[in-house]
Amino acid sequence: MTDPFTLAAGWLQETLLLPALYQLGLMQWEEISFNWAMFACYGVAQVIVTLAICMPLERWRPVENWPDQKAVWVDIFYTMLSRIGVLPLVTFVLFYSLQVSLNGWMTDHGWVPPTLERLFPFLLGQHVLSFICYAIILDFAEYWRHRLSHRFAWWWALHSLHHAQRQMTFWSDDRNHLLDEIISVVWFMVIGLAIGIPPLQFPLLVLMLRFLESLSHANARVSFGWLGDRLLISPRFHRSHHGVLAAGQQSANYGAILPWWDMLFRTADFDRAYVRTGDPGAEELMHTGTYVQQQMAGLRRMRKMMKRRSAKPAPARAAAGGAD
Amino acid sequence: MDRRSFLALPLLAALPVSPADAAPAGIAIVLNSGDATLSLLDTARGTEIRRVPVLREPHHITISPNRRELLIGDSGGNEMLFLDPLTAEIKRRMPVADPYHLAFSPNGKWLVVTGLARNQVDVYDAASMQLAKRFPIASMPSHVAYSPDSKVAYVTLQGTNKVGAFDLERLSLMWTAESGSTPAGVVWHNGKLLCANMGTDFVAVMDPADGRVERRIRTGRGAHQIFPSPDGRVLWVNNRVDGTTVSLDASTLMPVRSYKLGGGPDCIDFGADGRLWVTLRFNKSVAVLDPATGSFETLAVGRSPHGIWLTQPARAA
Repeated sequence: MTDPFTLAAGWLQETLLLPALYQLGLMQWEEISFNWAMFACYGVAQVIVTLAICMPLERWRPVENWPDQKAVWVDIFYTMLSRIGVLPLVTFVLFYSLQVSLNGWMTDHGWVPPTLERLFPFLLGQHVLSFICYAIILDFAEYWRHRLSHRFAWWWALHSLHHAQRQMTFWSDDRNHLLDEIISVVWFMVIGLAIGIPPLQFPLLVLMLRFLESLSHANARVSFGWLGDRLLISPRFHRSHHGVLAAGQQSANYGAILPWWDMLFRTADFDRAYVRTGDPGAEELMHTGTYVQQQMAGLRRMRKMMKRRSAKPAPARAAAGGAD
Repeated sequence: MDRRSFLALPLLAALPVSPADAAPAGIAIVLNSGDATLSLLDTARGTEIRRVPVLREPHHITISPNRRELLIGDSGGNEMLFLDPLTAEIKRRMPVADPYHLAFSPNGKWLVVTGLARNQVDVYDAASMQLAKRFPIASMPSHVAYSPDSKVAYVTLQGTNKVGAFDLERLSLMWTAESGSTPAGVVWHNGKLLCANMGTDFVAVMDPADGRVERRIRTGRGAHQIFPSPDGRVLWVNNRVDGTTVSLDASTLMPVRSYKLGGGPDCIDFGADGRLWVTLRFNKSVAVLDPATGSFETLAVGRSPHGIWLTQPARAA
């Protein structure tokens, strides 16, 4: 009859969200709340699937063993905020009006946002194929967003929070500064306006991609082999990006799902393997602080970087050693 | 196409090919706004014949004045689809900005399309489908109704708790007036405007001249949509929060009976046998309700089903 995600989201919507929205006089958000309920249910599934696969992998073939894993707990908190949908909900509400205004402005100027399926009608109804096309385009956009976040000093200051983790595990994927997340939302909003990203149209496939992103951060000696590492980003490949020598404004292996862009733009590094992770240039609170302390430390670092407006991008080693 | 569709292919192949015979029992077209598809259901068997992909978010459906085409607004895809009213086959597509709800004026001259996401009400010349006037308006314009003389279009404005009246002769905004929290469905009924307010438990009875609320009819929490029965004797109101559909006596507007369906009931269409086909937004299904007994069965469709249309030879040209 009905799939478990819809069943769960429908229950959440009917028994908790709708009555709450009704009481609060916020019923105009009821469709969005159902979408959020779906998002949250898929998010829970993502966490469960990731946990079920990545945790045994990390225990089976760990890259590093730590005496305790206190620093990982904050990453779990980041994951819950992000995957269960609290952060996406907040950013969606914040940017909904902006998106509507932009859409309206474009339409007033005679430019109805295109979609891939309209440009290539053979994609209509080919859900898997059109998803793959969207995934490739979005991954390309993500490569450049990520690369630019390392390039600009102020942006790197925010993004370095993601790199500060010395105990990198599959939980570290969502460890991001709030401002970095907001920039990311705006980035993909613009892309969405350009190509018409279908929201929640491919939830199971999105679930799979998010799993791959988490897996790439796993503390596990896992490679997909010579060819496989060149087709999909493995934990081995992505760990090089998180290595202490790559923490800075010039790095390597920026890709999220596909290593193709790194290969194309000559930023791929297949040689280094299973390196130590972290950012030596970041203050200690960015490594081991609480969520709030890490966020504040990111802001402090950004402020410092912005004061050095005249400073030129430093090479990776110098940035890693003394950017801050 | 899912497995059930493959199983249905031999059945489809066995059907006669002329449009009049192609769907003798009728097809229910269900607009799955959450997964960008249309579900085509065999109304006699209660089974899904196939899923038809669309671009993004199909919400509402209406029939052209000459009854030769069904129009579906795909708001997220900025596209209008034109279907054969008997076979549900997509005949053509047309770029249209954010078509959420849509309705033709009774005289067939105008098509009013609300852009809920873009805060705009578009008035199209129905014959040419040329945009005659765009009204940017705050906010979230939702559903459309007309005066019987086709001189005025009424649009609910969900974000500002108002109804707007648009003069279709002068193409100007006549008035806006408060109706209640989060107005959604609106219909003209016996010289009055009825407006279901989703943030309340009532349908507001409004004076179409100035929008003054004269009376409130309590139907249930989350009053969302109003549908007159084909014989005009009953008004059906769906209540989103309570999950009920309530029948009102069309002459007195007094509630007669409440049916608990659950699942966030939204749009209704009426079968020739008197049963109601109700989309349930939150559990991927359509409820087929026998109002005499109160019993209903649910049929599986796509995610967040919204608009629904039952093809019947009598409803097409």
